Amino acid sequence: MTINEIDLALADRASGGPSTESDVRIEVATQWQLMWWKFRRHKLAMFGGALVLFFYLLAAFAEFFAPVNFTTYNEQYVYAPPQMIHFFREGKLAPYVYGYKFERDPVSYKKTWAIDKSVIIPLRFFNHGDPYKFWGLFRGDLHLIGPVNASDPFYLLGADKSGRDVFSRIIYSARVSLTVGLVGVAISFTIGILVGGISGLVGGVVDNLIQRLIEILISIPTLPVWLALAAMVPLSWSALRVYFMITVILSLVGWMGLARVVRSKFLALREEDFIMAAQLDGVPRGRMITKHMIPSFLSHIIASITLSIPGMILGETALSFLGLGLRPPVVSWGVMLQDTQKVAVIAIYPWLLFPAVAVIIVVLALNFLGDGLRDAADPYQ
Amino acid sequence: MADNNNLLVQVEDLKIHFFTNEGIVRAVDGVTFDIHSGETLCMVGESGCGKSVTARALLQIVHRPGKIVDGSIVLYRQKSHDQIEKVRISDLEPKGREIRSIRGKDISMIFQEPMTSLSPMYTVGNQIMETIMLHTKADKNQARARTLELLEFVGIPRPNRIIDEYPFRLSGGMRQRAMIAMALSCNPRLLIADEPTTALDVTTQAQIIDLIQGLQKDYDMGVLFITHDLGVVAEIADRVAVMYLGNVVEYSDVYTIFNDPQHPYTQSLLRSIPKVTATREKLEVIRGMVPSPFRRPSGCPFHPRCPKAMPVCSEIEPKTISLTENHQVHCLLFDEDAKKPVREMAS
Amino acid sequence: MTEQTPQSQLNSIATNGKPLLEVRNLKMYFPIVKGIFGKITGYVKAADDVSFYIQSGETLGLVGESGCGKTTVGRCIVRAYKPTDGSIVYQRADETTVDLAKVDSKELQTYRKDIRMIFQDPYSSLNPRMNVFEIISEVLRVNELCSPKEMEYMVAHIMEQCGLRPEYMRRYPHAFSGGERQRIGIARALVTSPRLVVCDEAVSGLDVSVRAQILNLMEDLRREMNLTYLFISHDLSVIRHICDRVAVMYVGKLVELADANALYTNPLHPYTESLMSAVPIPNPNLRDRKNRIRLEGEVADPSNPPSGCYFHPRCRYAKERCSTETPVLRDLGDHHFVACHFADELELTGVRMA
Repeated sequence: MTINEIDLALADRASGGPSTESDVRIEVATQWQLMWWKFRRHKLAMFGGALVLFFYLLAAFAEFFAPVNFTTYNEQYVYAPPQMIHFFREGKLAPYVYGYKFERDPVSYKKTWAIDKSVIIPLRFFNHGDPYKFWGLFRGDLHLIGPVNASDPFYLLGADKSGRDVFSRIIYSARVSLTVGLVGVAISFTIGILVGGISGLVGGVVDNLIQRLIEILISIPTLPVWLALAAMVPLSWSALRVYFMITVILSLVGWMGLARVVRSKFLALREEDFIMAAQLDGVPRGRMITKHMIPSFLSHIIASITLSIPGMILGETALSFLGLGLRPPVVSWGVMLQDTQKVAVIAIYPWLLFPAVAVIIVVLALNFLGDGLRDAADPYQ
Repeated sequence: MADNNNLLVQVEDLKIHFFTNEGIVRAVDGVTFDIHSGETLCMVGESGCGKSVTARALLQIVHRPGKIVDGSIVLYRQKSHDQIEKVRISDLEPKGREIRSIRGKDISMIFQEPMTSLSPMYTVGNQIMETIMLHTKADKNQARARTLELLEFVGIPRPNRIIDEYPFRLSGGMRQRAMIAMALSCNPRLLIADEPTTALDVTTQAQIIDLIQGLQKDYDMGVLFITHDLGVVAEIADRVAVMYLGNVVEYSDVYTIFNDPQHPYTQSLLRSIPKVTATREKLEVIRGMVPSPFRRPSGCPFHPRCPKAMPVCSEIEPKTISLTENHQVHCLLFDEDAKKPVREMAS
Repeated sequence: MTEQTPQSQLNSIATNGKPLLEVRNLKMYFPIVKGIFGKITGYVKAADDVSFYIQSGETLGLVGESGCGKTTVGRCIVRAYKPTDGSIVYQRADETTVDLAKVDSKELQTYRKDIRMIFQDPYSSLNPRMNVFEIISEVLRVNELCSPKEMEYMVAHIMEQCGLRPEYMRRYPHAFSGGERQRIGIARALVTSPRLVVCDEAVSGLDVSVRAQILNLMEDLRREMNLTYLFISHDLSVIRHICDRVAVMYVGKLVELADANALYTNPLHPYTESLMSAVPIPNPNLRDRKNRIRLEGEVADPSNPPSGCYFHPRCRYAKERCSTETPVLRDLGDHHFVACHFADELELTGVRMA
């Protein structure tokens, strides 16, 4: 083998000397590492990813991040406007907000809110406030921030028609609205992979039937189907059941596209030389699918899933907004936006639209993230 | 042969660099050659040697992030009977009016895969007619008549039917013929053929080569033929430019290149090809492989693989040395000046 | 006419023992499916009544233009495809034989390690998501050919033999150049110490200088590991270089099969002659060869081949009989087989030796 060894040494020289440390790092990198390196260069996607992560963290620890419980109300402060938070007083970190006072409009005699700069409401980080049961398991009363005196008004994004804190409700809503996307996608992912996999792997008549079925389903307009299905959900159902049902309804529409993607990936892979090589290695069917085929397109699937979450979130918001989705006392962004169905309300109390801002930010962030993932999904171009 | 009256294109010290995220790639690094009408210049080399990029530069279609950074490409354009206009192609705007009037009219190009340059949306006839109408004053009927003539000329059977076919309905050989017909539609002075037969079978390849050679004779065209197949080179070339990593390492007439090659790369390359005329014997190999463009070796880029490398080869970039009037070598073995000082230093 | 199968003749000449592999009347028809109901409107006869044998230790070349069915034949032998008809008789190490065309998938598994394949494209044939060790060892793992401990040693050993650094076995294919990737593909094929290797255009995708390295490597490995190659290629120069005997295919049929020297210098089929004439020879002194043959027209459509001899519409020696009667592959002496009615009358020219 001496000839080969000389050959090797010379090959190294020809390629410009032995590889450097950073080259080796790339050469032994798995596809996920390569994808991460490629993704990292996509600044907008990184930003989107960070935002998405932030929102999901908010949702997961809603009890802690929300200053008060979403059911806490104070009829004294109905439609109170947002307060501005100040962090420093007399050069020291001591957050506070100003209090409210009523003003009578001298012309119309209408009662309006105004910020009263003479009243200072001190705030405290890691405040002990409303008691809660974290995830229904652990008792606690710790909040990231809250008024030192529990009876003081603290409405960062204003109050709604019952004097509830819009900010706290948005955080609690994230829990429902964001998980609808995740659970919905998980369901459509499972159905899509199964149906698409069967279609692509079995082929023949089965494939033909499945494809025709998908074509029929896909041709039915989405919104009426949602509306019809959502309208069939009995009013007597518990909030949790309704939540689950709405998720299923949303995902029933989403799986078709994914099934098609999965099928076409399987079909394309069947033609790949490396799949034939594995077949000639005698790789059994199960291992062929899990070890050789799925890793080849998993990253693409993850990217397209990320891109389909926004659709789910928007779907939930739309249904709830129309009153056909989730219903109070469950709180989601769509449910909150039900209050804004009247233009007059928006004109006078614009802060009620903040849930829509949250929807827009999350949807955009997910799209940025998904775009970056899609670009990074194939690191071998 | 180097009669200046029929000089078509003169390329001097052309440098094309690619500015990528990973660094600058010197894809073409000081290339000099010229093409005369009626002659075939073959550019031969392995992948990554810069032969295709050089060809594309002649039409200013080097794609980003590539850029012509130095050197000149001059087209000698026949203005009238005895008036010749010099156009510096290397200075023209890639999207400008002037280069567009040159493309397809003075210089035409055919590619390895005709499907990439024929649109699948239009019939073969439509695309050829459009080229004709773009560059001449022909109306639609005249253009169609000329197209039929061309299709017949390039050996397409039943041109009346093929003219209304879409490219994907044709076989590889027929597509290449259609592509050639399109390239010839305005009687170009120079035809650039970038690996036009690589995707074809031997018998089809022979047909296409015959066709190009026949057309060249009829039209007195210059042909720049790019290939990696030394067999094809030996069959059609008048002169040969052997390229390696962005340099023309040897440049001479075809007989000199094959019978008396001087550059170690040309010598090794010729010995490493299996020949249909020779029986089983061990092939000579060029050790190692073509280096990554990002790790271009210092000095002469061929030195790590060169059987005749000297210590100086890793230090000095070779110059082009003229052995005879029409035989240039890009190698330090022939550069007495470069060899001397190092010897003195060593002793 | 079909009574006199080429097989009877092939058998009689397999003198030095039984051949390692014997392909008899192999047929591979692919259905042409139209419409949403999947109606079969015809067949592409990719391989039609192909018969040949491969002796242990030799290299048989299978040459022809694209679409002639040479790749299909190779894939039938490694049983990537199940042939429509015919048999592929393989001689096991204990000299008993088995028809690979008939065995079920479970039994087939036991021959996967004996008959291996090297692919054309060094890029698409390696899974980019598996490292070199995983790629090469997959066949050992799924067939439980060795213990996990030995696996690392065996992979390192075959990598070394194929001119790859064993230290690089944890790297992924993207870290390697085309030539190195092809070496990985060869290592994957040879790690089981196979007896027959089907090389499907194994050097066609490589640069000139790398091609020579790989050809030499394959030749060295053949000698060291006592391999038998079926070398499929469209490149007549490469075939000439590496093969002992050569079979020529045209539109799914074998038209000529002979010792490499005889086939190249003294072809007996007009198609072989025109192939030889079309090969560019890297010697400008030979360029002005007179009376070179240029084939007219196009390769026949394998789903709708012409009558009689498939080559007759392009053949310059064609006579009336050629369009009506299908020629049979027959021995014209010295194991030189040819499927042409007039093979013993025609004076054909081969490649001129330099």
